[in-house]
Amino acid sequence: MPGFTPTDYSAILLSIKVATTATLISLPFGFTVAYLMTFRKFRGRVVLDVFVNLPLTLPPVVVGYLLLLLLGQQGWISKVLLQPLGIKLIFTWKAAVIATAVVGFPLMVRSIRTGMETIDIRLIQASRTLGAGWFDNVITIILPLSIRGIIAGSVLMFARGLGEFGATIIVAGNIPGVTQTIPLAIYEYVSSPRGDVMAMALCCVSITISIAVLIFHEWLGRQMIRTD
Amino acid sequence: MKFRTIKLLLCVFCFVFLTGPAALAADVNLSVAASLREAVTELSADFAKKSPGVSFQRNFGGSGALAKQIENGAPCDVFFSANVEWMDYLEGKRLIDASNISTLAFNEVVFVGKPGLKVHRLQDVVKLEKIAIGSPKSVPAGQYAMEAITKAGLDKQLENKLVMAKDVRECLMYAERGEVDGAFVYKTDAEIMAKEVKILFIVPQNLYPRVTYPVALTVTGSKKAEAVAFYGFLQSAEARKVLSKYGFAVK
Repeated sequence: MPGFTPTDYSAILLSIKVATTATLISLPFGFTVAYLMTFRKFRGRVVLDVFVNLPLTLPPVVVGYLLLLLLGQQGWISKVLLQPLGIKLIFTWKAAVIATAVVGFPLMVRSIRTGMETIDIRLIQASRTLGAGWFDNVITIILPLSIRGIIAGSVLMFARGLGEFGATIIVAGNIPGVTQTIPLAIYEYVSSPRGDVMAMALCCVSITISIAVLIFHEWLGRQMIRTD
Repeated sequence: MKFRTIKLLLCVFCFVFLTGPAALAADVNLSVAASLREAVTELSADFAKKSPGVSFQRNFGGSGALAKQIENGAPCDVFFSANVEWMDYLEGKRLIDASNISTLAFNEVVFVGKPGLKVHRLQDVVKLEKIAIGSPKSVPAGQYAMEAITKAGLDKQLENKLVMAKDVRECLMYAERGEVDGAFVYKTDAEIMAKEVKILFIVPQNLYPRVTYPVALTVTGSKKAEAVAFYGFLQSAEARKVLSKYGFAVK
């Protein structure tokens, strides 16, 4: 690799760390939302659906800006919750995790839902007639049968997280070695007249990781079809 | 029905792409260092008032980013840089008309922060948690500040504390919002724009080269009469007066 600086290496590691953390944190929430939308009928289901999918169509800059308004020094979540607890989020890697989680969340929910919709409803009904409560139902029927959807959703969200830029640069800033992920490092090199070689090198890293993740996702998808 | 839809789409397509603002001959494209925003806006407005028919397209940003845009073929007739380096870089690429480069103004690097902050000299900055600086890869304000930090031997202690901004105005915005404890900006930015923060200290001039704004006609600009006339206007006493009004030193 052509002369990566220590901050470039930490950008690569940080990207992976942020995307992984965001994905893991989102998993329980993603599963819950997908479960609610697939198996439960309740008022405001459409509202939840729109709300969850909104980050998919909103410009990430808007997501970032709204998060900044909420979590920033003058934001109300910050004033009510974070400052009394002494938590600082903005311009830390945790902010990058939050931004990535919000932007990638709809992808995860969609995949899990697809997985859940393939479950034979009679299996669930059978378990109910045999006396399983809803929790038993979720743990022993729904979770195992939608596990591939869950993994596929996680992979997709991870891949999206690696590329998160718009929301991240607003809430996490661009601090080399601390919050500078691969896209942010590329952005910095791209605006520098002498940065083309390094920008290209980081692009190659980015492309390599993305292709690897997408191939894995594709392979998972085939596994799913085969077992159906 | 389908055919009609396609026809309609074609019409929309033609309308959008063919009727765009036709580039007028009297359009002068400026690429301007972010810190000169207000000053150059006023200068070009003054010039446009005196020469009817001339209009300006202004593009603001970090000087390095602008230089790169010009290198990649962005339309630009007059380039205002916040340091000599990016001007020389373009001259080296033969994109600048070497006989039409001059020095427009000078500036100083200062440190801004909340008024109550106990930061009075460069050494105090290491006590802070987050500091905004223009990305030294492309933003001159950041390059000057980084040079001063390095010369003062503080670069290791400030590692992991520096938030890289895409231009000097973004730097100031971070400080204004209170998301960082302080920021390295130009004296003029602090004077024109700052509301929540104030100048805590001036970075000692012996730590970095003087902030110099060269201005030049690009090779394409030197063939455009309006651009040449505007470049001439920039050398006038009237233009100097506008610049000093915004806090720039003119000699």
